[in-house]
Amino acid sequence: MKTRITLLLMGVAVLLAVPSLVSQGLVNAAIQMLIAALFAAAYSLLCGQAGMLSFGHAAYFGMGSFATVHAMNAMGGSGILPTPLMPLAGAFGGLVFGAVAGYFATKRTGTYFAMITLAIAELVHALSPHLKGTFGGEAGVSTTRMPGWGIAFGSTNEVYYLTLVWVLVSLALLYLFTRTPMGRLTLGLRENVHRLRFLGYNTHGISIAVFALSAMFSGLAGGLQVLNNEAANYLVFDPSLSAAVVLNTYIGGVKVFLGPVLGAALMTFFGYAVSDLTQSWLLYQGTLFVLVMMFMPGGLAGLFSLLGRLYNRFGLQSLIPIVLLAGVSALMFTAGVTFIVEMLQRLFSQDYQAMAHANASMPWPSITLLGKSWSPAAWTTWAVPLTLASVGLVCAVAAKHWLHQLTSREEVAHTAFAKTSSPAGAAQ
Amino acid sequence: MPGLSFPQGVVRAMDAIFVSLMNGIVYGLLLFMVSAGLTLIFGMMGVLNFAHASFYMLGAYFAFALQPLLGFWAAIVVSPLMVAAVGVLVERYFLRRVHQHGHAHELLLTFGLSFIIAELVKLFFGNYPVNYRIPKSLDFSAFTLGGSDYPVYRILMAAIAIAMFVAIYLLLTRTRVGIVVRSAIYRPHMAEALGHNVPLVFMGVFGVGAGLAGLAGAIAGAFYTTNPNMALELGVMVFVVVVVGGLGSLAGAMLASLLIGVITSLAISVDASLADLFALWGARDWAEGVGGLLTLKVSSLSATIPFALMLLILLLRPNGLMGEKA
Repeated sequence: MKTRITLLLMGVAVLLAVPSLVSQGLVNAAIQMLIAALFAAAYSLLCGQAGMLSFGHAAYFGMGSFATVHAMNAMGGSGILPTPLMPLAGAFGGLVFGAVAGYFATKRTGTYFAMITLAIAELVHALSPHLKGTFGGEAGVSTTRMPGWGIAFGSTNEVYYLTLVWVLVSLALLYLFTRTPMGRLTLGLRENVHRLRFLGYNTHGISIAVFALSAMFSGLAGGLQVLNNEAANYLVFDPSLSAAVVLNTYIGGVKVFLGPVLGAALMTFFGYAVSDLTQSWLLYQGTLFVLVMMFMPGGLAGLFSLLGRLYNRFGLQSLIPIVLLAGVSALMFTAGVTFIVEMLQRLFSQDYQAMAHANASMPWPSITLLGKSWSPAAWTTWAVPLTLASVGLVCAVAAKHWLHQLTSREEVAHTAFAKTSSPAGAAQ
Repeated sequence: MPGLSFPQGVVRAMDAIFVSLMNGIVYGLLLFMVSAGLTLIFGMMGVLNFAHASFYMLGAYFAFALQPLLGFWAAIVVSPLMVAAVGVLVERYFLRRVHQHGHAHELLLTFGLSFIIAELVKLFFGNYPVNYRIPKSLDFSAFTLGGSDYPVYRILMAAIAIAMFVAIYLLLTRTRVGIVVRSAIYRPHMAEALGHNVPLVFMGVFGVGAGLAGLAGAIAGAFYTTNPNMALELGVMVFVVVVVGGLGSLAGAMLASLLIGVITSLAISVDASLADLFALWGARDWAEGVGGLLTLKVSSLSATIPFALMLLILLLRPNGLMGEKA
């Protein structure tokens, strides 16, 4: 527990120090990461803890955005809602819309629930461009951040700290919620609704409350986004936003509280970092998601806790070679696959195709990647990354086998020990 | 008809309604071609396959890519076969692996796959619509109605969809294979106990369902546009169809497809708003004063009507129009 609190305090200290450590562009990226992290945490309250899979959470994020943008325009950053408290308007917007939508959606469970949330999100997405008065049509609604509480909120750093405070407070509240009796009931919704109902709880009511809470924090995240961008557009209802939060949450690991936060922050950061380098970021993100779903349902957080457990059991010495092998194999596999994808992307790009068709008699022009030029007709161009990826794959299988051997050897030792020491074992 | 003549305006209005009714039916039949596979797969495995509309998109893109090599008709035959193969691979190597983790996990996996397929299509074919057109030999009008030509290709699409419905129906109800499939859907464990290879049946139905979606894509992609968003656009509509019709019901899917096709098609041509409805009670001024939803034209609401219908059905008749399994 003590190490956890130390780690947490260190994390907060790093977050506080971010603006003095990195460039303004990165501070802006950090704001996006914080917002995405809060959104994912709010989402995982619903899908991770209550076991209700929503495919339309952009609707609540968007409602929060528009509630905030209208509140900012109406109040001008003064009165009962000064600028630092503006995200409360987003939270309120998310809560109200979430309570209404949640009433309908939680009438059903499982696949039907997922379909209703999808339908509600699509309904809002299809309707919002037509309601120009509320959602501002194609142009959206813009606003200005007014000074409040003696702070100008003119610089990115000030917005960063405002966002940081809101996100940390919300995450703390979301965490404390899991410790309340209501939070325990939320887990009950996931595990066994029938038993909960049998115990006399109003499960529909609890579901609505959890749904509305999740929507409230999503709306708060939306409000923070508006504070940052000073505008809201109907594009916040886009299905891609709903998809991104699902992907982030599961890549991070839905079973651990901070998993989705980690996943969303990492994915947003990578999305920002590689946006100039590749056009296929979404493909990598989707692939990572599918790999996580297939081989590592615990996500990144699950991977860390697995490593922690192995460390406790076998110590550092026997673990290091396996982890190294696994890391190297993952690196080789990623490098090979990424190279192939990037080559294909450039090969099939319109510019290249036009160039190749323009002088069809010439051999295909070569492609520059990683500072070298590669000819698409040469077999080495494809064989090298393919070999790299397959060697990585083989190494990964070997690492898995090795790990399996390690764990099973200990089990054998345990059973052997049990056999010699207990008469029951000897009798078997 | 001699002695009976309508005023010119009425005739024109009736022609317009007839044309949009026809368009709606054709669109509905297309929806059915995609949703048939989806609803069969759901009835069988309990998995709502998020990637199903991606198979539709793959069908269109495969046909587009094969057309220069094989010609239009051969491409339309080969493309669904390729999509069916993709479907079989997805079932065998992806879905079956995660089956133990439950339906939510399977739904998420297919969601991720749909994402990957869309991104791969963008990678190979670009972000913009590709130039997949109907061949010249089919680009003529079947009949002329109210001054506008009705393309023969629409009728062809409808004919293929109907032929497919009849074929599936006969296959499922009249053949031995159909009996095994239906029993595997209805009582998988019992069918397995009687010695049928149920996993193989699942794989086969998944492949056939994917192939049908691919066929729909190969045919419709040439008529409508073929772009990387077509899976998402049609996908949500297909979910609506399957939920409204009743998950797992083929006849329900047919009914719901036609219903939604006709409603959306007719709604586009309605130039009225809810305020006109309120005008019947003399409340037009009030409604126009309220604005917002009440003054929106029905035509601009046409994209939202299916979702509203779906919500209504889920709340009033949760198992859909013809659903049996809850």
